[in-house]
Amino acid sequence: MLEKKISDLQAEVEKLLPTISSMDDLEKFRIEFLSRSGKLASLYEELKTVPNDQKPLFGQKINGVKKTLEAQFEMIRSAINATATKQKNEIDISLPGRMRPKGTHHPITQTMEEMKEIFVSMGFGIEYGPEIEDDYHNFEALNFAPNHPARDMQDTFFIKDDVVLRTHTTPVQIRVMKSRPLPVRVIMPGRVYRNEAVSARANYFFHQVDGLYVDKHVSFADLKGTLVTFAKNFYGSDIKYRFRPSYFPFTEPSLEMDITCFLCKGKGCRICKQSGWLEVLGAGMVHPNVLRNCGHDPEKVSGYAFGMGADRISILRYGIDDIRIFFDNDIRFLNQF
Amino acid sequence: MRISYNWLQRYINVNDSVENLAQKLTSVGLEVESVDYLGKKFEGFVVAEVIDVQKHPNADRLRMCKVNVGSKDGPLQIVCGAPNVEIGQKVIVGLIGAIVPHNQHDPTGKPFTLIKATIRGVDSFGMICSAKELGISEDSSGIKVLDPNAKVGTALADYLGVNDVAFELGITPNRPDCLCHIGVARDVAAIYKKKYSFPQYKLTENKKTSITKIATVKIENVIDCPRYTARVIQNVTVKESPDWLKQLLMTAGLRPINNIVDATNFVMLEYGQPLHAFDYENLAKHTIVVKNASAGEQFTTLDGKTHQLKGTELMICDGKKPVAIAGVMGGLNSEISENTKTVLLEAAYFSPTSVRKTAKRLGINSDASYRFERGIDPNITAEASARAASLIAEITGGEVVQGIIDLYPKKIVPKKITLKRSRVNSILGSDISSKEIKNILSSLEIKSAPRKEKNSFVCVVPTSRPDIEQEIDLIEEVARIYGYDNIENKTSSEVMFSKPDKDEVRINSIRQWCVANGLNEVLTNSLIDRSTAKMFSENLVTVKNPLSVDLEILRPSLLATMLQTIAYNYNHGATRLHVFEIGREFSISTEKGTYLKGYIEKNVLGICLSGDANQLSWSEKQRNLDLFDIKGLILSLLKSIGLDNSDFIYYNAPSSLTEMTIGVEINNTYVGFIGRCKPELAKSFKIEKEVFYAELNLDQIVKFDTVKKFKEFSKYPTVIRDVAFVVSKTISVGEIEKVIRSVGGEEITSVTLFDLFEGKSLGEGNKSVAYSISINSAEKTLTDGKIESIIKSIVNAVVTKFNANLRSI
Ligand SMILES: [Zn+2]
Repeated sequence: MLEKKISDLQAEVEKLLPTISSMDDLEKFRIEFLSRSGKLASLYEELKTVPNDQKPLFGQKINGVKKTLEAQFEMIRSAINATATKQKNEIDISLPGRMRPKGTHHPITQTMEEMKEIFVSMGFGIEYGPEIEDDYHNFEALNFAPNHPARDMQDTFFIKDDVVLRTHTTPVQIRVMKSRPLPVRVIMPGRVYRNEAVSARANYFFHQVDGLYVDKHVSFADLKGTLVTFAKNFYGSDIKYRFRPSYFPFTEPSLEMDITCFLCKGKGCRICKQSGWLEVLGAGMVHPNVLRNCGHDPEKVSGYAFGMGADRISILRYGIDDIRIFFDNDIRFLNQF
Repeated sequence: MRISYNWLQRYINVNDSVENLAQKLTSVGLEVESVDYLGKKFEGFVVAEVIDVQKHPNADRLRMCKVNVGSKDGPLQIVCGAPNVEIGQKVIVGLIGAIVPHNQHDPTGKPFTLIKATIRGVDSFGMICSAKELGISEDSSGIKVLDPNAKVGTALADYLGVNDVAFELGITPNRPDCLCHIGVARDVAAIYKKKYSFPQYKLTENKKTSITKIATVKIENVIDCPRYTARVIQNVTVKESPDWLKQLLMTAGLRPINNIVDATNFVMLEYGQPLHAFDYENLAKHTIVVKNASAGEQFTTLDGKTHQLKGTELMICDGKKPVAIAGVMGGLNSEISENTKTVLLEAAYFSPTSVRKTAKRLGINSDASYRFERGIDPNITAEASARAASLIAEITGGEVVQGIIDLYPKKIVPKKITLKRSRVNSILGSDISSKEIKNILSSLEIKSAPRKEKNSFVCVVPTSRPDIEQEIDLIEEVARIYGYDNIENKTSSEVMFSKPDKDEVRINSIRQWCVANGLNEVLTNSLIDRSTAKMFSENLVTVKNPLSVDLEILRPSLLATMLQTIAYNYNHGATRLHVFEIGREFSISTEKGTYLKGYIEKNVLGICLSGDANQLSWSEKQRNLDLFDIKGLILSLLKSIGLDNSDFIYYNAPSSLTEMTIGVEINNTYVGFIGRCKPELAKSFKIEKEVFYAELNLDQIVKFDTVKKFKEFSKYPTVIRDVAFVVSKTISVGEIEKVIRSVGGEEITSVTLFDLFEGKSLGEGNKSVAYSISINSAEKTLTDGKIESIIKSIVNAVVTKFNANLRSI
């Protein structure tokens, strides 16, 4: 009888063990089999009823069952514990980090800030001036002839007959030269306006950085050296460049600086109109008439001036087709910079 | 300006590659914008003679031809399908490798490259072409048969006379002398240190008639017309121009019209002198009078357009009526026609200002006005007239009447300018010798004679160079021909160290802070429409000549254009807009001005927050932005730039644009505001969501000093105690905080609201506020008793003052 009960119990345990997966199951199992009122305990109870000569045999058997049972119980318990601990510690580290929102500089200010930084490191100060400017500073003092086309309604926005939206930041040169003792060495960034229909290539306002250095013995060679230093810092030390004679009313001799197209490396492409060159700035020696207008004697002092368009340069740097995208301020655009 | 390479060769033998010439022209300031190789598309096509024609053994429609292409390798066998091929014809053969411009068998006519082909078992080494295949005419009926005199082996481009190169030059406004081939030849001569020559021609005059007998000229306005010349050519036959002339004009970008007009255009592109040919028979009394128009008069130009005249326009009139607008455009009433037999040829010098004003006012931009406006050489007029008369006679079969009428009351003489070598070198930073300066000037036909002073010259500037007015202009000429590249790039000039001034630094740190704190910088329009602008201000700055009514007013507030940006982004699917701009606001003022009297230009920081507060994330619950986002942002910003120890907020600031408006003050100076855009304002921009806006006046912000000084902090422990009250919702937390601070005295180092809620359990109309209070003394460790008494007095004060209930300590 007892023998049967022992083997029944063994069979039952064998069957049950694999189904135990939680501490709750295990606890039920313990109560059913291992507790004081459990099935194993009742076997020991029964052992008392067997004849004495058989007691050691059955006793051994039951003890064996107990040992196995306890060992199995421990095994399962540690297995369940291990799983639980594992579950507790495991973090899905592929979860995205808590991101700080990304702020961006507008590409045009970015370009202007970089230009400023280079010129400041070369010893230039920074000056600003009005966007609403008078004819005197915007044109007359800058040696524009009275009938110069730029003074037409077609090219310039007028507020009054003699008040315009400045067409360049160059008038700040006049203000600086008139209000400051020499030497002056400044750059003049800012927004300028042209009465021009808005298209992919042109906008009615854009941003310029002008530069000015007036002192004794400032020469065209100094101008060239400064521009080359700037260009190598701004565009890269390996660029090729060229200087071409050009014309501006307020400088003479005047030049324009081209650098090799960064898209095609000079082979010729759509951006550089097949020429291999990109025009990046205009410059020259301050015209004697301009110096005179600012109360300086051109026999005693000389100076150079230069100017560049931040919008145009940004277009080239970032490979943008349509200038209008700068001022749509689409977040998807801004987030790229 | 388009310059033909072949045409240029008439005056100077360049003897250099096209590429080198282009590069050199650019280097002296005649920028070559593009080079057009006109013969390129005919490469691989030659004049050939058909020497044998046989039937194709396998195809009825095809013929086997032998053509002599002038090659020493003998004739080529070509299979040809054209019906008109015959022995002895001169034809155009495309050799293997040539690209046929037009494929007759392709619906889109795409070009194709000739390869050796086997056509129905017979080898074919090229193609006999039709005119259509070459793109020279629409005729595709058969092969193009050439003149029997065509020379076998001649390249097609040469045969057609199109083997030319056109340079597109960007001529700056100061160089009107280069708006013609001779002018460019003059600079080319200076570049290559060569000589150029004027055209050789023979003017044969008919001695039987003298011009003074058959025509008269009178100038009534000598200010605007300093010089007027006339010649007459009789018995002309108006017809098409000869090929060479048409070809050169087309290369230079002009459409041939008839031999007389073409001749005048040719001479204009040769000497830079615009000319005009009148039909002599249509000139009343055979008279020319140069005078101003009558006010209100109407005039129809060659292009068929009728213009209303003001009376300021200089007109060329005959004995009765105006026949041309001087220097701008001829009239329909005296135009050269097929029936013209006698021509009166005008060559004149009109004042640049007069032509410019008239052309501009009438909206006409002609080749003539373009040149007169910039200034032609007043002393080339008679020469150009003679040249044109001779050419007209030559190509029309006409006869030039003897003599010229040349009214030139006050001769324009070359300018004399002093040039010092020392000035040249100090301006350029160079060391150019006197001899080299003299040579350069002389290569530009500027004569220089030494003055008493050493290394100083008197220069005589030809009248073709109106741009050269003073010494600096001569220095530029020297620099340009000497070569900008030959002047050093000097970097050794003394460096003045500078650091950006503090205004610049502060504005930069504001920009950097905004970017670092997740704001996108925007740059918005400065011009807006009047009705939008009016919502923001009454003192508007108006553009007199705006591009459109939408762009009439300078923005009175950054908010106006930033709202446009917000609206644009919502329309394009954005849900979270945190943007800032640093820009100008404009207004008029009766008193002063920022720079110009009457105009205020204010530098402003604008921040707009709208839409979602957070980026979409697994860990943070999304919420809508509220006022405290922007309030916190501004306070953090001000603290970050060092403006942290001012009491700078006051509430319910008046604002027409925002509600819940908070004024920002630093040291009792108003510097800006924070608020929520009024819904009606947002709606007028078609924005449905809330927009929070903050604006700081940067011109004010940069004025405050932020000298940082170390302040000793207490060595004694800080005790932190929390207190919570239930108060009426009407009581602001700001007021409670004020009371806590004032009652607690200087031992209170911080008061932080850390919990705020409402709930039924608190009773209707109530809220719970909980503060964390830091207590500390600089002198000693505070006893428990002291702390208890501070807390107690705080609690008592809050309870009495606000009728509050203490929830917990
Ligand atoms: Zn390129």
